[in-house]
Amino acid sequence: MSIFFSSVLAVTSISSFLVILILVIDLIINNYPNFDININNKKTIKVEGGKPLLFALKDKEIFIPSACGGRGSCGYCKVKVLNTSTPYLPTELPYLTDEEKKNNIRLSCQIKVKSNLNIEIPESLFSVHQYETKVLSLTDLTYDIKQVTLEIEKDQNIDFKSGQYIQFEVPPYKLTSETVYRAYSIASAPSDNKKIELEIRLVPNGICTTYVHQYLKVGDKVKINGPYGEFYLRPTDAEIIFIAGGSGMAPIKSILLDMKEKGINRKATYFFGAKTKKDLFLLDLMEDLMKAMPNFKFIPALSDLNADPDWQGERGLITDVVDKYILSGENKEAYLCGSPGMINACIGVLTKKGIPNEKIYYDKFA
Amino acid sequence: MKQDLYYTKVQQRMKKGVLVLDGFLGNDKRNLIDIINEDNETVKRLGLTHIIIAEKLDEFREVGLKALEESVIYKDHFEIKAEIFRGKLPCPFGEKGIYQKSEITVINKKINEQIKYSDLSIHLIKEHGFYQGIGSPYRLDPKKVVRVLEIS
Repeated sequence: MSIFFSSVLAVTSISSFLVILILVIDLIINNYPNFDININNKKTIKVEGGKPLLFALKDKEIFIPSACGGRGSCGYCKVKVLNTSTPYLPTELPYLTDEEKKNNIRLSCQIKVKSNLNIEIPESLFSVHQYETKVLSLTDLTYDIKQVTLEIEKDQNIDFKSGQYIQFEVPPYKLTSETVYRAYSIASAPSDNKKIELEIRLVPNGICTTYVHQYLKVGDKVKINGPYGEFYLRPTDAEIIFIAGGSGMAPIKSILLDMKEKGINRKATYFFGAKTKKDLFLLDLMEDLMKAMPNFKFIPALSDLNADPDWQGERGLITDVVDKYILSGENKEAYLCGSPGMINACIGVLTKKGIPNEKIYYDKFA
Repeated sequence: MKQDLYYTKVQQRMKKGVLVLDGFLGNDKRNLIDIINEDNETVKRLGLTHIIIAEKLDEFREVGLKALEESVIYKDHFEIKAEIFRGKLPCPFGEKGIYQKSEITVINKKINEQIKYSDLSIHLIKEHGFYQGIGSPYRLDPKKVVRVLEIS
C-alpha cells in the first residue's frame, strides 16, 4: 500500500513540477514586447506582441470581419501580411486558396504578432467601430422574422451606407458557452445614426437567431461592430431592379428609405418573393413608399400556387415574375438579396434580358 | 474503441453550442470513432459507399434548390424542399471549406418516410463517413437514407 501511495505522490510531484516549468518557460519565451503594425503604408499602430493579429487590431479599434469570433472556424478574417516569417499554420490552410497563399493572405485570427508587420486591409475597415447598444424594441414581422431595433449608446453615432451590414455579438447564454458573431444587414435609413433596425429570420439550430428570437429582451445590452459591405446603391441614373426574399428585405428597405429621404426619384421596381401570404411583411410601408416615390413599384409574388386563394397579386417563382415584367435590360441595374440559389437564378434571367454582370449587385446569404 | 487526440478534439467541436446550437452528436455517448465505424459497417453491409450515398443526397439537393425554396415533386413520388438560411458553417473536422446553412427535406411518398439534411451533412458523409450521432437533428441513419432515397 505504501508503495502505491509513494508512486502516486511521485507522479503528482513530477506533474506539478512540469506544469510549473512550462508556465515559467512560457512566461519567459512568450513575453513579447510591443510591435509596430504598418497598415496600407498609411498608418502605424503599436500593438501588444504575442496576440493573434485579429485581436491585436481589435484592441486598437480596427475590426476585421469574423463570423466565429476568432476561433479559426469561419475563414472570413483574411488579411494581407507582407513581411511575416511565420509559416502557414495547419489551422489556416483549409481556408486559403493557392492564389491567396501566393498573395500572402493570412487568417488574422491564427497568425500571431511576433515582429513588426506590414499589412494591407480594405480602406473601408478604417470606418468600422464597435458600438454598445440597447434593445429598443422587438417586433414580429412574420412567424419567423423578428425586427430588432437597437439604440446606439454613449456619445457614439453609426455612419453607414444603406445596404451595408453589421456584426452582432452574441454573449455566452444558456445554450452556448462561447461568444459568437453573426452578420445582419441594416434595415433602417442611414439618416438616423443613433439607432439601427435589423430583420432576423430564425434559423433551425442557429446559435444567434435562437438567442434573438427566444432570449433577447427589450432593454438588453448588445455589442455590434460595423458597418461592412459593398452592397449599396450606385449613384447612376439607371433604372433599378430590386429582388429579395425573406430577410433579404432588410438592405433593400434601407436603400428605399434612403432614396425617399434624399429625393432620389429613379425608376425602380422591387420584386419580393414569398411562399404564402404569411411570409409577406411591411406591405404598408411599401404602399407608403409607392405613394411617396411615384417612380417606385413594389411587386410581391407568392410561390405557393395553391395557398391563399384570395391573393390578387402575382404568383410563381420570383424568376418567372421578373421575366414577365422586365422586357429589356437596357439602362438598368439590379440589386439582389437572398439565398445563393435565388440570386443565381435571378442573375440568369437578368443577364438574358441584357443586364451586364457588372451591373448586378448582390448580397448572397453568406 | 479508444480514439486518438484528433478525434477527441473534433468531438469537442461537435458538442452543443460550439458550431451549431444542437451540435452533431445528439444524445449519443459513444466515441466519435465508434459512431463512424458502426455506420461504416452498416454502409458496407448494404453494399454501398459513403460517396454513393453523398452523391445521391446531393442529387436531391440540386433538384430542391432549383425550385427556389418551394416544394417540388421529383420522379413522381419524392417531395423535396430545400431551404437556404443566412450564414455558413465550417466542417467540425477542420477540413477546407465552409458550407451554406440549409435544410433539405425529402419525403418518399411511396413509403411515407422522410429525411432532413444540410449542405454540411453531405460533406460530412462524403469526406468523413460521419452520419451524426443518434438524436442529432440531422442524424442520417444510413439504412433509412438508403430506404428513403431508394439507393441501390
